[in-house]
Amino acid sequence: MATESPVSSPLTTASTRRRSRATDLARAGTTSPRRRPRNDLWLALIFIAPASVGFAVFLAWPTVRGIYLSFTSFNLLTPPVFTGLQNYERLVQDSIFWHSMAVTVEYVLLNIGFQTILALFIAVMMHRLTKSTFVRGIVLAPYLVSNVVAALIWLWILDTQLGIGNEILSAIGVGRIPFLQSDFWGIPTIAFINVWRNVGYTALLIFAGLQALPEQVYEAGRIDGASEWKMFWRITVPLLRPILSLVLIITIIGSFQVFDTVAIATQGGPANATNVVQNYIYNLAFGRFQFGYASAVSVALLIVLSIITIIQYRLSRSGESDLD
Amino acid sequence: MTNSITRRALFAGGASALALGALAACSTTGTPNPRSGATGTVSYWLWDSNQLPAYQAVAKAFERENPGITIRITQLGWADYWTKLTAGFIAGTAPDVFTDHLSKFPQFADLDVLYKLDELEATSGIRDDDYQSGLAQLWKGRDGHRYGSPKDWDTVAMFYDQKVIAKAGYTADDLAALSWNPDDGGTFERAVAHLTIDGKGRRGDEPGFDKTDVAVYGMSANGSGGDGFGQTQWSPFTGSIDWFYTNKNPWGNRFRYDDAGFQKTISWYFGLAEKGYMPKYGVFSTTTGPDVQLGSKKVALSFNGSWMIGTYANLPGIDVGIAPTPTGPIGHRASMFNGLGDSITKQARNPEAAAKWVAFLGSAAAQEIVGRAGIVFPARRSGTDAAVAAYAKRGLDVTAFTEQVEDGTTFLFPVTRNPADVQALVQPAFDDIYANGKPISTLTGVNEQVNNLLALT
Amino acid sequence: MTSTLPPVVEPQTTRAITTRGGPRPPRRKPSVGRVIAWIAMIAVIVVTLFPFYWILRTALSSNGAISADPTSLLPTGFSLGGFERVFGLQSTKEALAQGGSGAAINFWQYLLNSVLTATMITVGQVFFSAGAAYAFARLRWPGRDRVFAVFLAGLMVPTIFTLLPNFTLIKSLGLVDTLFGIALPSMLMTPFAVFFLRQFFLGISREVEEAALIDGAGKVRVFFRLILPMASAPIATLAVLTYITAWNDYFWPLMVSYTDSSRVLTVALGVFKSQSPQSGTDWAGLMAATLVAALPMIVLFGVFAKRIVNSIGFSGIK
Repeated sequence: MATESPVSSPLTTASTRRRSRATDLARAGTTSPRRRPRNDLWLALIFIAPASVGFAVFLAWPTVRGIYLSFTSFNLLTPPVFTGLQNYERLVQDSIFWHSMAVTVEYVLLNIGFQTILALFIAVMMHRLTKSTFVRGIVLAPYLVSNVVAALIWLWILDTQLGIGNEILSAIGVGRIPFLQSDFWGIPTIAFINVWRNVGYTALLIFAGLQALPEQVYEAGRIDGASEWKMFWRITVPLLRPILSLVLIITIIGSFQVFDTVAIATQGGPANATNVVQNYIYNLAFGRFQFGYASAVSVALLIVLSIITIIQYRLSRSGESDLD
Repeated sequence: MTNSITRRALFAGGASALALGALAACSTTGTPNPRSGATGTVSYWLWDSNQLPAYQAVAKAFERENPGITIRITQLGWADYWTKLTAGFIAGTAPDVFTDHLSKFPQFADLDVLYKLDELEATSGIRDDDYQSGLAQLWKGRDGHRYGSPKDWDTVAMFYDQKVIAKAGYTADDLAALSWNPDDGGTFERAVAHLTIDGKGRRGDEPGFDKTDVAVYGMSANGSGGDGFGQTQWSPFTGSIDWFYTNKNPWGNRFRYDDAGFQKTISWYFGLAEKGYMPKYGVFSTTTGPDVQLGSKKVALSFNGSWMIGTYANLPGIDVGIAPTPTGPIGHRASMFNGLGDSITKQARNPEAAAKWVAFLGSAAAQEIVGRAGIVFPARRSGTDAAVAAYAKRGLDVTAFTEQVEDGTTFLFPVTRNPADVQALVQPAFDDIYANGKPISTLTGVNEQVNNLLALT
Repeated sequence: MTSTLPPVVEPQTTRAITTRGGPRPPRRKPSVGRVIAWIAMIAVIVVTLFPFYWILRTALSSNGAISADPTSLLPTGFSLGGFERVFGLQSTKEALAQGGSGAAINFWQYLLNSVLTATMITVGQVFFSAGAAYAFARLRWPGRDRVFAVFLAGLMVPTIFTLLPNFTLIKSLGLVDTLFGIALPSMLMTPFAVFFLRQFFLGISREVEEAALIDGAGKVRVFFRLILPMASAPIATLAVLTYITAWNDYFWPLMVSYTDSSRVLTVALGVFKSQSPQSGTDWAGLMAATLVAALPMIVLFGVFAKRIVNSIGFSGIK
């Protein structure tokens, strides 16, 4: 961990104020210094207990059970029947599964690509163009509504016949586009809806990262005559790497699990054009009572997410903050 | 913000959260059901909010006759209905009685979550003949037991705006006399072409008709029909050639989508979109059904089912008329004959009380109450008559729907095992044909996949 | 206030995030780049806000007029029918006549349910995750980092995996159709919350903590009296995020609730949407319902906007 320079951490100021408080606090406790226990194990266990219970019961156990179920045939109402690798054999040959993986990857690339670039742009704008909290508030507004609401709004706006979006398009001569009913436009439209909803939040995260960057570097750049554009590429982006990588890790994982929007807007159609993996799993489990196979597909998704996370983590490790 | 306040606030918050939780948990009221006899509460689910008032009236009538039993009706929207039902089966929170659908009940029967109605006292006396012919049969399982009590029936017809038709030079009788064939479309296709108007006002059978710029389509579209056996899409046509979906019904196990005559009909049907007489896929969104298409004057003939009569009647500015489906090569017209039924779940704490409710639902008294509300055609003949009268009072002539039943020109909804898996294969295939222009011959491959699936089970 | 450190250069206090200090650049003529940037920014703002206006406009129109005149920017066929249907103020007959379906939202009940559930989840999750984060960040114990890695791995588990087992568990606890049942699975922790807070706790100056410990304070006391207040900004951020997420959760509450007593606003909206399987969508009513469902969050946001917007941040993250 790097040592803090006097200007970088906003907590430094706070800490100077608190230092004396800390001493007061400690003195209030005991009169003589206590020997610090070498090992905080018991204390840690207490602190960690509720969270661990939550983790074990509601996260770890279902995962283990899910993995077990992937080796069974299970219709949710009678006990599962062990079938070995049958589900996985079926998975490998299942063209709908591979298609849904492809569709999901396409979605993730479009969603994350546009979202990150747009968020970066907005964050830089908020940093260099206007400091108004009002603008920040506006940008964050779509995040407040749920995925369901966002899907409904855009379903209405992009309606082929009655939506204002298509009215505008036909007025300017482009012609109506069946956004949510075309195998070409389906996924990009869903990606767009989610970008609309999430970009504000992502932008604010990046913006906060921008704020933590020291002004000195920009001053130096400006004195040297560098343009905004150059400063952006040479200074901002490299310094933002740790923030960006953190944001990317979180958003990519979330993006792979897109479901609500698809369930409301297209239900996976037309002809499986928007049948993302989580939608496929849901239909298998709750529509067709094939929970064993659905679990196998879930395990496949889990493996994919793990690989991606590991890759990302490795990549981001190599980018320590250039500030230090 | 001082430390002590933070800590106090946190603790207070945490404690109150848990307290709220406990309170919330305790406040749930279960349904106390006395063990003895046919008394207690019976819960009933349905999805069509239009029918809610009618069924509430039925419940009141039932409660008057059976003072110990209370009926609790819950209406859940279609999309959530089956999710909640499934979750209910797993969690033990399923309703006692629910409106069942032919495309779902085989799965439930296989999973053994439904009572056999013939084994419960109150419903053991249900007779097939009490209902429109063929309906009760559909609700019997492969084991011959009855799993559902017929509730209502529906057929398909063509809705239209009388003013528009008159302007095109047709009368109601003209429409009723239309016929089609897969070779040249017959008088039906000529009518549809004439009713199609392009952006410059040219009709579909006039020279210079621009099929890329259509203002009014001759007939409506409602998706590819892959999800419901083309009930409101192509089934009137495929039903009026010598063809049926499966080798037998109910409980067929081989589909016949590879039949040459069937494929020719489908090819002709989707070809109408190519000619500009029917909207192409995506022109209207899934939320803009044939009723809205007619209401916004974008189509001339609107194919839909009898459950939509009320909706069409309410379209502002439209003088709605109803014509029966066109006759086909088989020599007469055809319509799919579908019917909903009421089923009892094995979680009913009081199956005998539930059976009494179901028996009442299937009785003439109840079905006449529903019929008089004029929303659907109840399964009993007297109920149907009441509905027809109710529609007539609103100035609606529903003969187009009823004559198919009376003339026996209907065909039944196909009932097979694993309907959800079948649909998962079939729907994308039809979507692909309609939306992406895939060749009709792909249906042969899909047919084989479906048959393999059914052979395995 | 005693201070042994050299005076620290302003302006990096938390409040400074709003108005970043430092010397202002001399007022320049707006360059082409700046104009383009402003145009782009305005475009972004319009695309962000327009849908909200459009919901309002549709909610105040009538269904018939909507089909006839889809483009008018102002409400067409102005009517409060949409809202009336949402609150159940129309008789079924009226509702059906206007293209609706006679279903209603028992708004206040659902609002209360949403508030209770979201509050339970937020308070529980933040508090317990903070404790765990502290244990991972500042306490020393064997296997600490390995256990944390396991916690972190939880981020990758697809939600669908945990859905059904959690449901069966809630059922066997007898908590189906209760608000507590809805809240329980996320009330104790989420990997994200633990991760997020640990990052901040790691960034808190060690010196202050060391000082307190040397002076004899126990770690528990340090946690409550020192760490938590110092991390109040990220904790507030997390609380806000958690509240929003919990408020907008749809699928899990859908599975767990069966009656009005435990139905939350998002589920009620879904129910309202899917009323009639066959007739055309009641866009006016649906948009009104959407607005009503989103309104509490928007109001909350409007009241606390400045604080919320400013609290989203990474300050101090390493």
